[in-house]
Amino acid sequence: MSRRIAEHPILGVQEKGEKVTFLCDGEILEGYEGEPIAAALRAAGIMKHRYTKKEHTPRGIFCAIGRCTDCVMIVDGKPNIRTCVTPLKQGMKVQTQYGVSPKPFEKQ
Amino acid sequence: MKRYDLIVVGAGPSGLSAAIEGAKRGLQVVVFDENEKPGGQLFKQIHKFFGSKEHKAKIRGFVIGEQLLKEASELGVKVVLNATVTGLYMDKELVVKIADTIYHYKGDAILIATGAAENMVTFEGWTLPGVIGAGAAQTMMNLHGVKPGNRILMLGSGNVGLVVSFQLLQCGCEVAALVDAAPRVGGYGIHAAKVARCGVPFYLSHTIVKAEGEECVTGVTIAEVDKKFQFIPGTEKHFDVDTICLAVGLSPMSQLLKIAGCEMEDNPKRGGQVPICNEYGETSIKGIFVAGDVSGVEEASSAMIEGRIAGIAAAQYLGYIGIEELEEKFEENKAALEGLRQGMFAPENRGKLIERTEEGIPVSMNLLTKGYIAEDEIERYPGVTHRAGIHPVMECSQNIPCNPCQDACPRHCIQIGSHITSLPVVDESAQCVGCGLCVAACSGQAIFLVQEDYEPGYGTVTIPYEFLPLPQKGEKGYGLDRSGQRVCEAQVMEVKTAKTFDHTNLLTIRVPVDMVGKARFYRKSC
Repeated sequence: MSRRIAEHPILGVQEKGEKVTFLCDGEILEGYEGEPIAAALRAAGIMKHRYTKKEHTPRGIFCAIGRCTDCVMIVDGKPNIRTCVTPLKQGMKVQTQYGVSPKPFEKQ
Repeated sequence: MKRYDLIVVGAGPSGLSAAIEGAKRGLQVVVFDENEKPGGQLFKQIHKFFGSKEHKAKIRGFVIGEQLLKEASELGVKVVLNATVTGLYMDKELVVKIADTIYHYKGDAILIATGAAENMVTFEGWTLPGVIGAGAAQTMMNLHGVKPGNRILMLGSGNVGLVVSFQLLQCGCEVAALVDAAPRVGGYGIHAAKVARCGVPFYLSHTIVKAEGEECVTGVTIAEVDKKFQFIPGTEKHFDVDTICLAVGLSPMSQLLKIAGCEMEDNPKRGGQVPICNEYGETSIKGIFVAGDVSGVEEASSAMIEGRIAGIAAAQYLGYIGIEELEEKFEENKAALEGLRQGMFAPENRGKLIERTEEGIPVSMNLLTKGYIAEDEIERYPGVTHRAGIHPVMECSQNIPCNPCQDACPRHCIQIGSHITSLPVVDESAQCVGCGLCVAACSGQAIFLVQEDYEPGYGTVTIPYEFLPLPQKGEKGYGLDRSGQRVCEAQVMEVKTAKTFDHTNLLTIRVPVDMVGKARFYRKSC
């Protein structure tokens, strides 16, 4: 979790929820309960959240406040979930979204 | 359908301020906010605010947010979160989406304080993961404790671009460059100077040609632009970065007002589509008020005052107070608001080149193009003086509404006077004791303590320092000049930390005597 800020010069050590594990495309990752899914993904170095339906180009976090919908993913089977404003929970299953499917385009 | 005296949309600085003033006068108030947490952007603002002591200067934004929330809750204001207002209709009825349900409310008065949304610009590769808004960077680092990237290029030299660049440095990211298509730095010079002395190069009259990378950002190419903002061939520069941050302005989120049928105008000086409103923030529809960025993009300090005025005006509209109280309170707040709207960065000066300060001193052109005041420009400012013994050097060169330094000095060495935008002046007759309170109080981190006669051949410079790890006494490193270039060896003589400094540490470094006027930052030897 090298992208985590251990101690901030102004904010100090930020309070976090319980450490939890979740699945991202089958890989077990760690994060903190209640933080946005997108924050846990960025901390784990994951940049790509989805591929667009028409052009098949990658997208990631853009606004981080639930406005732009660029960071949507499939969460517990439901597509188009804004990961930047959806709190992380233990055991969540997060998948890259291809169009609106969890399957890469060549398998659709 | 549930009814309230006053429904406020948006729990940011202006909405909360309005709710507080309304509730104080007996109104039953509810505040809806679409976010999970209240406070709007205040909780991402970790720098000390400008302005006057009466208006929360030198308090950090997130602390102001906590104060507002506490005050609102003590007054019985109900703040409903995760609540998106999706429509505002006739007779001040509105619909709110909370979780998966739509609820119907009616307000006898409505206050729209929805703030503003970030603008963006497009360029080749702008959709790649790794291209983010400056607000996103702030959200990730200051709310969630995650670095947005490792090496970042910032586009935009307004206050948002400058402040966020500094915040990125504070959380341990590297800022490869600060770029703006405009020919001059748009934000406060002191914000630029903080970033420049950390070694971040400024590229004005430059913009992004393309973001590079297949699956996510791996680099960026910028190039110089001419007066018509066309790329000049052959001026391309490449940077290896993993993140590109866009800070290219804000636009009012005024959609609800449009839905409601308020008269609107397109006003570039206020940031775009804004409602036409009177001095109290009342729109063309009686009883619908606005405050904060939604009615014209400004700073949080002015948003809070606008909120107060609109909250009091709503109380008067509903008959809870008389017109006399409204007029009296309005005059007080108006004076404060006018104070904040003075100086070089006043709304009417947006985009104008100002060549002289109110005192008639030429403005540093290097500051406007490179982000720092040049050697041959610094001596012209009244805060930059030389004398025996320890004394403050104030590198404050632009007229901005801010005066905490004046109150900070227990010996009254520093004077701004009654005109809040004046440049600070050192009172030569008052004796500085080197306490450093002024250094910590300056929201712009533009005050240094200098002692030229510390010991033979050496002087000391005390600098404000808001980074980790904190240097240790005795440690050796380098003095960096205003441009971030290493200019000399430096030894840490003292590190002062105090509660009153509010996380601004005072670092005293010993440097060769000819460097006391140059060394303005410190970096440890690797």
